[in-house]
Amino acid sequence: MTILTRRLFRTIQAGRGQFLALVLIVTLGVIIYIGMSSSYNNLSRSQQQFYQDYAFADYTFQVVKAPESIVARVEALPGVLNASGRIQKDVPIIKEGQERITGRLTGYSLPMENELNRLHLLSGRQLEPTASGKVAVLLDPQYARANLLAPGQDMEIIADGKKVSLAVIGTATSPEFIYPMKDAGSLFPEPERFGILMLSQLQAQQILGLPGQINQLLVDLAPGVDEEKIKEQVEKILAPYGNITSYPRKDQSSHLVLQAELDGIKLFALTLPFIFFLVAAGIQFIILTRLIRSQRLPIGVMKALGFDNCRIMWHYTSYGLAVGLVAAILGTGLGIALTAVLNNLYAQFFNLPNMTNEINFRVVLYSFLITSLVGIASGFFASRSVIRINPAEAMRTQPPSSGRRTPLESWYWFWQQLSSSWKMSLRSIFRNRGRFAVSVLGIISSVVLLVFSCFSLDATDYLMNQNFEQINRYDYMIRFTEPVKYSEILDWTRWNEVQRMEPMMEVPVKLHAGGESKDEVLLGMTPSNRLKRVYDKLGQERQIPEEGILLGKRVADKLGLQVGDEVVVETTLGIGPSRSSRLTIMGINEPMTGSGSYVSLATANSLLEEQELASAVLLKLDAARMPSVENRLQEMSRVASVSSPARERETFEQLMGTTTTSIAIMILFAGLLGLAIIYNSSVMTFNERQRELASLRVLGYSRGEVSGLLRKETWMQALLGIALGLPAGKAAGAAYIASASTELYSFPVIIYPRTYFIVAGLALFFVWIGQQLAIRKVERLDMVEALKNQD
Amino acid sequence: MPNEVLLSLSDISKTYTMGEVKVEALKSTSLEIYRGELLVILGPSGSGKSTLLNLIGGIDTPSSGQMLFGQQLLSNGREKALTRYRRQEVGFVFQFYNLIADLTAAENVALAAELVAEPLAVDDVLRDVNLWERQDHFPSQLSGGEQQRVAIARAMVKSPPLLLCDEPTGALDYETGKMVLRLLRDIQKNHASTVIIVTHNTAIADMADRVLRMRSGLVAEIVINENPLPPERIEW
Repeated sequence: MTILTRRLFRTIQAGRGQFLALVLIVTLGVIIYIGMSSSYNNLSRSQQQFYQDYAFADYTFQVVKAPESIVARVEALPGVLNASGRIQKDVPIIKEGQERITGRLTGYSLPMENELNRLHLLSGRQLEPTASGKVAVLLDPQYARANLLAPGQDMEIIADGKKVSLAVIGTATSPEFIYPMKDAGSLFPEPERFGILMLSQLQAQQILGLPGQINQLLVDLAPGVDEEKIKEQVEKILAPYGNITSYPRKDQSSHLVLQAELDGIKLFALTLPFIFFLVAAGIQFIILTRLIRSQRLPIGVMKALGFDNCRIMWHYTSYGLAVGLVAAILGTGLGIALTAVLNNLYAQFFNLPNMTNEINFRVVLYSFLITSLVGIASGFFASRSVIRINPAEAMRTQPPSSGRRTPLESWYWFWQQLSSSWKMSLRSIFRNRGRFAVSVLGIISSVVLLVFSCFSLDATDYLMNQNFEQINRYDYMIRFTEPVKYSEILDWTRWNEVQRMEPMMEVPVKLHAGGESKDEVLLGMTPSNRLKRVYDKLGQERQIPEEGILLGKRVADKLGLQVGDEVVVETTLGIGPSRSSRLTIMGINEPMTGSGSYVSLATANSLLEEQELASAVLLKLDAARMPSVENRLQEMSRVASVSSPARERETFEQLMGTTTTSIAIMILFAGLLGLAIIYNSSVMTFNERQRELASLRVLGYSRGEVSGLLRKETWMQALLGIALGLPAGKAAGAAYIASASTELYSFPVIIYPRTYFIVAGLALFFVWIGQQLAIRKVERLDMVEALKNQD
Repeated sequence: MPNEVLLSLSDISKTYTMGEVKVEALKSTSLEIYRGELLVILGPSGSGKSTLLNLIGGIDTPSSGQMLFGQQLLSNGREKALTRYRRQEVGFVFQFYNLIADLTAAENVALAAELVAEPLAVDDVLRDVNLWERQDHFPSQLSGGEQQRVAIARAMVKSPPLLLCDEPTGALDYETGKMVLRLLRDIQKNHASTVIIVTHNTAIADMADRVLRMRSGLVAEIVINENPLPPERIEW
C-alpha cells in the first residue's frame, strides 16, 4: 500500500460520517438500478419465452359460430403461419351457497402441439381428448386458490341453459391468461368472482350444444406481413358466420397489463437510480472541493516534495472511486435481495410459469461501471483545483474567508430586523451558493420521489371513490345470459327489498368513420338513470343523450371524430344479423377507466331494431334485506352473474396491500436521500465554521444556540427544497401519467392537499434526523482545540 | 492595589490525554484574582499559561481542584453554568482575533451584545476602539490591528468584569501592538474591569499590577508591580 493510499484511508476514516452518507446515496441508487433492471429482465424474458413456447396468437377473431373447417381456409391464406379454432364463452359458475359468478369457458383441441395459446399445466393432470365421461376442467391458479378448489373436487356451471358438473383436475395457465381480467371495464382481477375454465374442445362443444363449431379463431402471422391486409382477408372468410370483433395481441387485456408493468419498470430502472447518482455526484464534488481547500497545506507540502499534479489529483479522485466501489458492492447485495422481493411480488400478480429469478451479471457490471464513473468524474472535476495550488503560497496562513453583502441587504428595513445569527446564515448561503444549490436540488429530488410515491395512492383512492361512490351507486348488477325483455322482469320491482331497479343494455359494435373502424361496447342506459352515472376523469358528470351518442375520447381520437359529426354504428351482438345505423356525436367523454361510450337505452334498442331489451339490471336494495335477494337471484336460470361494488372494493383493498410494500420502500429511499443530503451539508458547514462556532461558544452562546445557527442553513435548504419539490413532484406525476396511460386506465393527476402536508412532514422528519446526526458534532466541539489551530 | 477577590483557584490541575500519552499541562495551582487588576501571565511555550487562561475563562474544565467565581462553583464542569459564566462575566480576546467572517465589524460586536440584558451601545464601543468609521467592513477588509480592535470591542460590549487576552499582540506589529495594549489599559481603568493578559513578551509585564511567571505547568513566582508603566513607555 502506498503512503498516499494509506492517507486516503485516514481521510475517509476521519470524515467517515460524510463518506458513509455518500455511500448510502449511491447504494440506494444501485439497489434500485439492480432491483428494477433485473426484475425487468426476468419478467420480460419469462414473458417472451412463455409467449414463444406456448404460441401466443398474433390476432384473435370472434364470431357467433362457425364450422371447424373454416380454420383450414384461414390457415391457407398467405402470411398466416398457423390458425386455431376454439370455443370460448363466458358462463355462470354456481358457487356453493348458490352465488353466481363468471367463468370463461375455453376449449382446447387435443393434442395441443400445433395449437395456438397452448396451456401450461401448473398442477394436477393434463386434459384428455375424450368426449365421454365426466367433464374435466383445469382452472387458473388464482381462481383455484381464491375458491379453495383442488383436484378431485367438483364445480357447477350453467351451460346452454343446463346445470353441468365439472371435475377439477388441476391448474393451468396460458400466455393470454397471465393476468386474467374479465373485460376492459374491470379495474383489476377478481379471482373470487372470475375464473378461467379450460376444457377439452370436444367436451366444451358438447356442453355448450355446439358440436363441430367454433366461435374464436386464433392466428399466427409470418413476421413482417401486413397485419391489416390479412385481418381484412380473414374477416371476409368469417363474414358469413356472424358478427365479428377482432384484436391484435397488443390489445389483448392480459398482455396490455403485463406490457404496461414492464414499461413502467423499465422507465423507473432508467430514471430513478440516476437521480441518486447525480445527487451523490454533486455532493461528492462539493465535499472534495472543500477537502482540497482545507488541505492546501499538505497539498503544498506534497508538491514541494515533488509529487506532480496528476498524482495528487488521483489521490483525491480515488476518494470518489472508493465511494463508488463500496456502494456498488453493498448495492449489489441489497439489489439482489430487492430483485427477489420484486420477483415474489410479480409471481403473485402474474401467472408466468418458470419465472426466471436470475442475477443479471451485466446489470451488476454496469452498476460497478456507473458508480465508478460517477465517483471518478466528480472526483476529477473537484480535484482540478489542486493544479492552482502554489506550494509556497499554500504553506502561508490563509486570510479569513471574505464576507460579502447579499442582495437581501438592499431591503434595508428587512435586513435590520434580522438577528446577527440570521445575517451570518444568509451571508454564508450566498457565499456558498453552489453548495446551497446542490443541497436544495437534492432535497427537491427527495421530495419529488416522496410526492411520486404517495401520488399513486391518491390517484387510486380517487379512482376508487369515483368508481364506487359516484359512478356505481347500485348494490347489485345482474347480468343475463341473453338479453331479456325489460317487461318480463319488471315484477322484481315489486319485491319488498328492491328500492329501485334500472335496466342497462350493452351493445358490442364496430364504429366506422373516414375509412377507419374500431370495436367498441356501447352502454345503453336511461338518461334519467340514478344508479349508474357517467363521470369524466376530471370528475364532471356527463349526461347521456336521448338521441345520438356520447362517444369515448379514445375512439373519437382514433376515428378523428368531433362533436356534431356522424358515426356509422354496426352492431356485432352474437344474436341476430348485424345492423348499421348512423348516430350523431352529442359529446366526447374521457373517463378514467373503460371506453366511455354511452347511448340511451332507447337508442341501444333501436340500433338492434329491438324494443325494451336489457342485458343487465341494476338494483338498489333495502340494506337489511340484501342477502335474501341475492339468494333469490342466484337461483334464476337466466342470471349470468351478480356483481356487487362493495365486494369489488374489498378485493381491491386486499390487492392494494402488496402495493403498499413497494410504496413504503420508495418512501424510505426518498427519505434516506434527504437525510444523507442534510447530514452532509450540515457536516460541511460545521467543519468549515468550526472555529467561528467555537468562538461563539467562548462569547457565551450555548450549545443550543450554536446548533441553531447550523440548523438555520439546513432548514432554509430544506424549506426551499420542499417548496420547489412539491410542485415538481406533481409535474413528475403528470409526466409519468402522460407516458404510462394505457388503453385500460387514464388517471387524472390527483394529489390531495393532505398528501402535500404528509410529504412535507416526512421530508422535515428526515431532515431533522440528518441534522441531529450532524449536530452531535457541536455537542462534542472542543473550544480550546478548535481555536488553537490556525488553519 | 484593589483586593476584592473576583475569582479563586485552589489546587487546580489539568491533564490532557493525547492518544496514549498523558500531558500534565497544569500542575496543582492555587491563585486569587482581584477585581480591577491588570494581571500579566508570562511564560515560555508549553508552560501552561494558556491552559490556565482557558480554565479561568470557562472554556475548559480542570481535571481536579476547585474554582470559585464569587460564591459560584465553576470547577464541576456543569455546561449550563459555564455558558452562563462566559456569557455574563467573561470577555475573550485571541491572538488570531477569531471574528466571524460573514459579519461586519459592527455586526460582530452586536453578536455579543445580543447575549446580555444590558450591553454597552455598539456605536460607543466602536468609537472607543476608534473603528466607528470602519464598522461596515467585513473582517477580510480590515488590517490585523483593526481586526484585533473589533475583537476587543466584541469582548467589551458585554461589559464583563473579566477580560481575558491570549497573546493579544502576538500577530501584530509593534505600533499596533502598543495601541492594543493602551486600549486594554483604558478598559481596565475606565470600566474597572479585571484584565488578564497571557503573553511570552516579557516587556508587557511592565504595565501589569501583578505578574505571574509560569514554568512547566507550575506558577514559578508572582510579583507585585508597585509602579506599573503606561503602555506608551514600554519598549520591546
